[in-house]
Formats: sequence, C-alpha cells, structure tokens
Amino acid sequence: MEVKILSEHYHKDDFQGLTGYKANGGYEMLKKAFTMKPQEIIDLVKAAGLRGRGGAGFPTGVKWGFLPDNGEPRYLLCNADEGEPGTFKDREMMERAPHQLVEGMIISAFAIGSKKSYIYIRGEYDDSINSCRQAIKEAYDAGLLGKNIMGSGFDHDMDVYCGAGAYICGEETGMISSLEGKKGQPKLKPPFPAVQGYLGKPTIVNNVETLASVIYILRDGVDAYRKYGTEKSPGTKLFSVSGNVVKPGNYEVPLGYPLKDLIFDLCGGLKPGRKLKAVIPGGSSAPILTAEEAMVATLDYENLAQHGSMLGSGAVMVIDDSNCMVDLLGVTLHFYHHESCGQCTPCREGTGWLDKIVHSILDGKGRLQDIDLMDEVAGHMMGRTICALSDAAAMPTLSFLKKFRDEFEFYVREGRSKVKGQAHAQM
Amino acid sequence: MLKCKINGQDVEVAEGSSIIEAFKATGQDIAHYCWHPGLSVAGVCRLCMVEIEGNPRLQIACNTQVQEGMVINNNSDKIKDAVKWGLDFHLINHPLDCPICAQAGECQLQIQYMKFGQYDPEMAERKVKKRKVVDLGPKIVLDTERCILCSRCVRFTDEVSKTNELGIFNRGDHSEIGTVDDRPLDNPYSVNTVDICPVGALTSREFRFQQRVWYLKNETTVCNGCSTGCSTKVYFNEEGMWRVKPDHNDDVNGYWMCDEGRGTPRFVNKDSRLLSAWNGQKDEGQDLEAGAAAKAVGQTLKKVVAEQGSDKVAFVVTGQYTDQENRAFLSLAKDLGVKVYHWVNNPEKMDEFDGLLIRGDKNPNTYGLKEAMKEVGVGSPWSELESSVSDLEYVVVAGPENHFAYSDLTDKVDLFSKANHQVWFVAGDHDVLRAASNKVSLIPTKTYVEKDGTYKNFEGREQRIRRVMTLVPGALSLTEASKLMSGQELLVDGNVSESYRKTNFFSSNERGYL
Ligand SMILES: Cc1cc2nc3c(=O)[nH]c(=O)nc-3n(C[C@H](O)[C@H](O)[C@H](O)COP(=O)(O)O)c2cc1C
Ligand code: SF4
Ligand code: SF4
Ligand code: SF4
Ligand code: FES
Repeated sequence: MEVKILSEHYHKDDFQGLTGYKANGGYEMLKKAFTMKPQEIIDLVKAAGLRGRGGAGFPTGVKWGFLPDNGEPRYLLCNADEGEPGTFKDREMMERAPHQLVEGMIISAFAIGSKKSYIYIRGEYDDSINSCRQAIKEAYDAGLLGKNIMGSGFDHDMDVYCGAGAYICGEETGMISSLEGKKGQPKLKPPFPAVQGYLGKPTIVNNVETLASVIYILRDGVDAYRKYGTEKSPGTKLFSVSGNVVKPGNYEVPLGYPLKDLIFDLCGGLKPGRKLKAVIPGGSSAPILTAEEAMVATLDYENLAQHGSMLGSGAVMVIDDSNCMVDLLGVTLHFYHHESCGQCTPCREGTGWLDKIVHSILDGKGRLQDIDLMDEVAGHMMGRTICALSDAAAMPTLSFLKKFRDEFEFYVREGRSKVKGQAHAQM
Repeated sequence: MLKCKINGQDVEVAEGSSIIEAFKATGQDIAHYCWHPGLSVAGVCRLCMVEIEGNPRLQIACNTQVQEGMVINNNSDKIKDAVKWGLDFHLINHPLDCPICAQAGECQLQIQYMKFGQYDPEMAERKVKKRKVVDLGPKIVLDTERCILCSRCVRFTDEVSKTNELGIFNRGDHSEIGTVDDRPLDNPYSVNTVDICPVGALTSREFRFQQRVWYLKNETTVCNGCSTGCSTKVYFNEEGMWRVKPDHNDDVNGYWMCDEGRGTPRFVNKDSRLLSAWNGQKDEGQDLEAGAAAKAVGQTLKKVVAEQGSDKVAFVVTGQYTDQENRAFLSLAKDLGVKVYHWVNNPEKMDEFDGLLIRGDKNPNTYGLKEAMKEVGVGSPWSELESSVSDLEYVVVAGPENHFAYSDLTDKVDLFSKANHQVWFVAGDHDVLRAASNKVSLIPTKTYVEKDGTYKNFEGREQRIRRVMTLVPGALSLTEASKLMSGQELLVDGNVSESYRKTNFFSSNERGYL
C-alpha cells in the first residue's frame, strides 16, 4: 500500500501555486514553527529519527546539531541536483509541489537559525527551476520570505542556483564549491560543512525530500511520524522505480516496505514472459541485488545493508532477463568515468580504467584475467578518496562481478553476450 | 606537545601537527605527491596512507591531525598494498617517456616505483592522450601527459605568488593543467612551480635537455641576486653552473626563490667571464696574469700617492662583495689614505620590496659594505667624485659581478673615463670597459660560487657563501687582490690549485663521474 504524505496532493493541478498549496493546509506548519523555539524543532526532528534522503541516510537532527554556536552566519542549502542515475523524485516534488519544499526549508532554516538559503538545482531541470523560482517569488510577495516573516521577527532570504548538470555537484562539498563559483569539486573533510561550509561559514546541506519531510513531522508529531517505517528507518519515503516494470514512476511507501511488493504490486510487475534477474535498490551506486535477494529484501536502511547494499537515493532499477549485465555495467561505468571530478588519483584513474576494461570485454577483446583485474581495481578505489564517487563506481563493479560472474566469463570466452537478443541499456 | 607513536617510534609534535609532519619529524619515509610543506593541503594523491590503531579505515597522513597517544604505522602489508596501488593509479596513463624526460633522475614517480613498485604493468588499455610540449610561458614548458594532477603548481600560484594563472581544466582522467585563455604563466616566481612539480610535467625552458641531473653535483649557498639573500642550491659540473634552486630556510626565503635569482649562471659561467687581466688600450692590449697585474697596480698606486698626493686616487666600491673582501679593500684604501665612494646602482629603487622576496637593492651585501665603511672609517659622498673625477690620476673600481643589475655601467665607465686611468676588478668581460677612452686595466675577480665568505642581507643577517667550484683559474677575490696590491704574497695562489682539486667531486669515483 502506498502511504501518501509527501505526495498526497501531487495530483492536484493547483497545488503548484501558493493559493492551492494554502488551500490544502500549506504554510500552517510554518506558522506553528514560529510558536516554537528553534531547539524544540531540532529535538523533534531528532526524536522522529528522520534520516537524510539524499543518499547517505544520515540522521538529520544530529547533523543540525553539529552547527557550532559561534555567532557566525550560517547557510541552509537544499540539494536538488538529483544526479544519481535512476532518481527522479525530487524533480516531481519541485514541479508539482514547490511550496512544500519552500515551506520545509523556511522551517528548517528557522530551526538552525539561518538567514539565507539556496536551492541548488541541476541545470537540465528547467521545469523545476521555473517552478521553484515562481514559488519563491510568490512566497516573497505573501510575506513568507524576506524580513520579519509572518510577524515572527525571523528574516530569511532564499534563492535558486542552477548547476550545469554535473553529478559531482550533488556531493555536498562539490555543491558548495560550485555555489561559491569555483569548479564543482568536493572539498577535503575535515572540516565538515556544518563547521566550515559555504564561504567558510557553517552550512547544512539537505536533500529536497528531507527538508519537505520536516513539515510533516511538525504536523503529525513524533509518534504519528514513527507509525510508519521501522525503528531505525522511520517515516515514508519516495521511491523512483525504473527499468523493466509495467508502471515505472515515483511511489511513496513506508520504509521497511517489501521490495517485492513495490515491484509486483504497485508497479504492476514485469512484462509478460519476463523473469526478474536483478534489482538495484538505491540508485546506480548501490550494490546490485539478485532476484532471490530482491524477493526477500525490505526497503529500509538496515535490511538493505544486511543484503550488502543500500537504500541510497531510493532509485529502484528493475532488471529482467532480457538485459546483459556486462552491458549494464558498461553503461554504469561510462557514467562514473564521465562524472569523476578527477582530483583523487584512485577515482580519476580507476573510473577510466574500469570503463575501458569493461568496454574491451564488450568489444570482444576481453581476457579472462580482466575480471579479476576489475575486481582488484575496484577494491582499491574503495574508501580511499575525498568523496564517495569512487566508492559509488566501485560498489556496482564489485557486486556485478560477484553476483553475475558467469555472464562476464561467458562474454570473455565467447566474445558475445550470454543474453540472447539483449536490449542495450541506456543511461 | 602531543605524544604519538610512528612505526613504533615515540615522537612529540606540536598541537595541530598533521601525521605527515610527525613522519617528517622522525625522519621516517612516507610516500606523498601532493603535500608540500609550503602549501595548503590538497589530499588528492592519496599516497600518504597510514593505519591508525583503532580506526578500521586507512587515513591520509597529510589531512589527519595527530592526537594524543595515537599509534600510527605505514609499514603494514595493508599500507604497502595501498601505496603500490596508489602508485599504479598514477602510472596507468603516464607516458613513461623517461628517456627523453628532463625530470628523469629526480622524478618522484621513478623514486616511488623503485621503493614500492617494481611490478609489471597490468594496464592493457589505450592511454589517455593529452597535450605535450605546451608553451606555458617564457620560462616554462608543460607536458600534460606527464602531469599527475597533484595541484601543487596551482596552489603555488594561488597561495604564494598570488598570481592565480594556473588551473585544472576538464574533469576525470581528461583533467589538464592550463591557464585561462592560454594566457602565459609569467610571474617573477614562476619557476618555483618547476621545482615543486614532482614529475617532468613542468620543466624550465632554460634547463631542460641541458644536462642529466645525475651528472650534476650541488652545494648550498646564498643567492647574490638581491639583498634578501635566499638560501639556494647551485647545481654544477666541471663545465660550469647549470641551475639554481631554492634551499629551505624558514628565516629568509621559506621554500622559494625568485626567477631572476636563477639567472646567476649567465654571469658566473665561463663564456661571459673575463679570463685574464688586460692592460692597455686597443692595439696596445695584452693578456696578463691576474696576480701580477694586481701587484703592479698596487705599486703604481703607491707611487702616485707618494708623488702626487692621495687625492689623485679614488676607490669605488659596490655592494657585491663579501664582508671579508670589503674589509681588505677598504683597509687598503685607508692605508693609502685615498677616498672611497659607494656606487649605488639604482638609488631610487634601493628600498623597494615586493612583499614576498624580491628587493630593489640588487646587491647581496649593501648592508655589510656600509657597516664595513663605517668601521674602517672611510666613505665620501658620490657627488664629490663626480665633480673631482677629472683631476684624478686613478679610479680603482671594485665592479659588479652581476652586471645585469647595473644598468648604469656604461654611464659610470664614461664618468671614470674623465680620470687618466681606470682600474677595474670585475668578473665579467664587457666591451664598454675595453672601449673606454682613457687607460683601462681589467683584473678578473671570482664570482660568489668561487669563494668563501659572508654576506649580510637587508636586515643584517650574516650568511655564508662557499666555494663550490673554480671556473676561471687565476681570478682573484677582492681580498686576494687587496693583499697583492699592498705588497703581500698569497699563501695559496689564485691558480687552479691543489686545494681546489681536493674539493672537486669530479676527481672522485662516485657515480656521476663524467
Ligand atoms: C557523488 C555523489 C553525488 C551525490 N548526489 C546527490 C544528489 O544529487 N542529491 C542529493 O540530495 N544528495 C546527493 N549526494 C549526497 C550528498 O553528498 C549529501 O549527503 C546529501 O545531500 C545530504 O542531504 P541529506 O542528509 O538530506 O540526505 C551525493 C553524494 C555523492 C558522493
Ligand atoms: S572521489 Fe572522485 S569525484 Fe570524489 S573528489 Fe575524488 S576524484 Fe572527485
Ligand atoms: S615524469 Fe618521471 S616517470 Fe614520467 S617520463 Fe618523466 S622521469 Fe619518467
Ligand atoms: S604540473 Fe606538476 S605540479 Fe602541476 S599538477 Fe601536474 S604534476 Fe603537479
Ligand atoms: S600527500 Fe596526502 S594525499 Fe597526497
């Protein structure tokens, strides 16, 4: 069963505008927030156990608590770069419910005491950019942004910043560099953004969905929020389902929801005559699950971790038996090769190397030792770099090779795919 | 202070130190390409991996601060494997053109490979092709294929020279060092990027392809290019001096030096030097032995002073000589009772300073000269010389060794031509001197790499220079010349001597003997 909290009003055309948004209870929670102390909101978010929806699943309240109390100006940045292949949930929210993001951001900004925020949107998202700009303008006109919002004495300014569509600018420090007008590449940590972020000032970076969720924690309270989800993964989450299902799209389900039900109930299952081969549960960076694993896995941080994978951004990619895993890895690795910012040697060189090896195999020039070599190369890219892109390239490689080694060996031996009449994957 | 253990060895380091600094403090080896003590931390080469007890993940030593009681190692098998792979990632797209690479012999890739690598390459794919022989500026040539993208050069231009020319363009394994709109990398400190480039990506236009570095010897000394007095290393062989690099000295120049100071070979090397004494006008000229010439000048001066009076002779000094030479020369003037004038080459610029290293006073020892003049009790205003020069019989000049800093050389030769004779102690051979309209004697002097002594820099810091080599046998130091002029004999003559042979590395059997 879908549980629509964030996406409850998505189907209403007028929910995009301020009037429609308000008619459905919009900005009521902002009013409520101003009756509370900022720390109370932080505590509430902590107690609700909200975990970041951008990929890492870091507890949001805890992250907010890292801000130093040093009187410096602090920034709130909304990560709307949505670069993780397979993910399209933030886009839908920005297009259909931009005020939900704006309200969530003002509440969060009030909680952390930030006077300035940016929504960093990837450049290709024209509609999102326009709708967010429009929503911000409406909010300013209605006195929901700017000086002394709703008479609360709280000032806040918000802006949209367009990226140029680089995956690496979704990494929070890469995003900060880009926002600072520099080349979009991640910064060394420590210092962490909460201590020294945008323009060297304390900065919180949160995903679109994370920030919007804050509204509903305020509305429903901790217990009601925790009614959905599991102990360690409370609440509902948006999943972007793509691949070989009958009804791909965004689905909001409680965390802990069975992956099997998402595929076979909500998404209408596979096309007739097709068999499930594998599922990537959390965006292309997440290690792949075999069909057997997918049938028992549940969509929460801890269960997917037990299966050696991760929830990531919630992009579920369903792969049936018409796909060749070598081809799929080829497409995936081409992506990471193209997107590595190139600072860290293991990532810069490793992503290119892996991409070239897998394409040598695809060109029928594979050597049997290439499979072990890829495994070694990927193994040595893990945990060695400034940001997690290197791991994000290595993890699918390692899991594809481990779980579908037979397909790779077949390709190397025969110079062709094990899958007859396979469809070429595209990214 | 914080205590920690590095590969089992106890060390104490200051609070805030990074692990790599702790390694340096113990003198233990740690692989690194991007870290440089004079620059900010980039943490990109990922070679300086260490294991910290209690932390399952490997950490980079350059961006991890030492904490009290940390137990750190970089000699476990896990680290060796990480460094081997770290190196391999650096090499897979590297062109490996060592045989035609000017960096070979002092290349960090080669050095690390000998320590951690020595395996067969596993890369079977086509390497990334990038630009080679890129004209980066008047002094520097770039090979982007050899570049390991450590970003040292970029950080140097951002943080030290603050000229911001360089950047890394493109992404991933297509990243390349370059300048915005291909503007030249041209600042007064640009060649430092060549020094800190760990590989053969940035090469100095002047030095590349000149010499294989393993055939060169080096010695530390002090630059004589300006009154800052940067500590330097000069690289030389029996043919002469080939290049100059900065030597680390926190008190003076840190890790850097200016580009101009690297140009000393152009006035030190033999082809620009006065090789023997010269006495006489045009057709009367003949080559003389320097020592004999100095002796003869001394006798003549004594005679002139005795017969015509001490006001018929003037000494001219420059800030180009060591303290010891100044004292000897000034004492001789004092003994003869003649006046001494300080030739200031660019009076308007003497006090200029660019905020980093370069000073307007292009003499290494103006401070020492002034001090010595005061102590010896000589020195008269320059205007006096200008008005009285035509009455003089002899002007004796301790001329500049670095004539590039003396743009007024011709003016001064003209001025001194108003006297009946001019005698020059000088390192370089200059046509203007030989062409002077009065009687000229030239006596060759040693350059700063051919003698021992001290300079005092702009703030009076006394620094030693040392004899590194002999380029012009027979050339005299001003001390030697002064002794000869006053009638004394030299204990060791100025010829290519036994003492030089003993300190000449090229007579040893060490590797690198030509
Ligand atoms: C290579 C890379 C790309 C990322 N791309 C995104 C992205 O497009 N959107 C996003 O919200 N987070 C992305 N992240 C995660 C962010 O770094 C960061 O953890 C997140 O925005 C924090 O927000 P949250 O706590 O609300 O999840 C990316 C991380 C990496 C390493
Ligand atoms: S891991 Fe890759 S993408 Fe991330 S900072 Fe390093 S080189 Fe850039
Ligand atoms: S940079 Fe080093 S490894 Fe590369 S070609 Fe030059 S000497 Fe060889
Ligand atoms: S040119 Fe040299 S110093 Fe600059 S990034 Fe490349 S390897 Fe490093
Ligand atoms: S020296 Fe530490 S990462 Fe390069």
